[in-house]
Amino acid sequence: MLPSLPILELAVVPYYWHLPLLILVVSLVYSATRFDQWGPIFREAVRWGLRLSAFLLAIVVILYVVATYL
Amino acid sequence: MSNSAPSGPRRSNEPKPQPFDVGAAFLSYLVPGLGQIYQGRVAKGLLFCVALYTLFFYGMYLGHGMNVYLPDETKLPRMFLLSRGNAVFKDGVELTGFSAAVGHRIHFLGQFWIGVAAWPAIWQYAHFEEGKEPSGVFGSFQRMPPESLVNQIQNEDDKKWDLGWVFTVIAGVLNIMVIYDALAGPAFGRTVAAAREPEVRKNVAVPANT
Repeated sequence: MLPSLPILELAVVPYYWHLPLLILVVSLVYSATRFDQWGPIFREAVRWGLRLSAFLLAIVVILYVVATYL
Repeated sequence: MSNSAPSGPRRSNEPKPQPFDVGAAFLSYLVPGLGQIYQGRVAKGLLFCVALYTLFFYGMYLGHGMNVYLPDETKLPRMFLLSRGNAVFKDGVELTGFSAAVGHRIHFLGQFWIGVAAWPAIWQYAHFEEGKEPSGVFGSFQRMPPESLVNQIQNEDDKKWDLGWVFTVIAGVLNIMVIYDALAGPAFGRTVAAAREPEVRKNVAVPANT
């Protein structure tokens, strides 16, 4: 059973589930314009994917905190 | 004191800049990745093509197929690049025709760079007649939707409408980077080609008098 943390409610917001495609495509395409070899492309794509995810998650948490507690 | 360019071993080790490949860049504009395929970088070209078309058409799907279009600017307020009464141009600089349509639908500036996939919007704009049923090759594809329908979708749907046009714009803008990759190569050089070059030279450097 999931713990009843209010922030987990965000997971059921349907439009967030479209974002992984965006993150995947942006990371892959950007990295592929940096390098020509698959190894560096995938490594750079993973790094950018994590950075983008962390940035978006931080925005979500900040907006959630502002909207809920302030 | 000398202002001459640096010379010696350091300079000779620098990779030579690739000549610009304008033809491949144009192909990558038409269809994402086509220029890379033309250059022999087939897998990377296919990656660009699949990734960007997936993002673009998925964005269109999220927007119910009604977020890539150019509006009929004749029914919309006048559009100024510089407003009237400014210091340089007293009467302002007014956008007319196609530029006014783009001004009213600025998203299209980003979507345009996806290439031929956004051309039906231009065709629809050029052949648009109010009150006429959609017809021709494209039907209602990328045709300006009725305002009442757009308002209804925005009121009754969730935020997928906004995500949809953002996806299409990002796909178009990402293709600018793909076009540049076809034009000038990847940002950090064509490492595979550079690494193989001495090997290839060694294999073909046969003395002429043997």
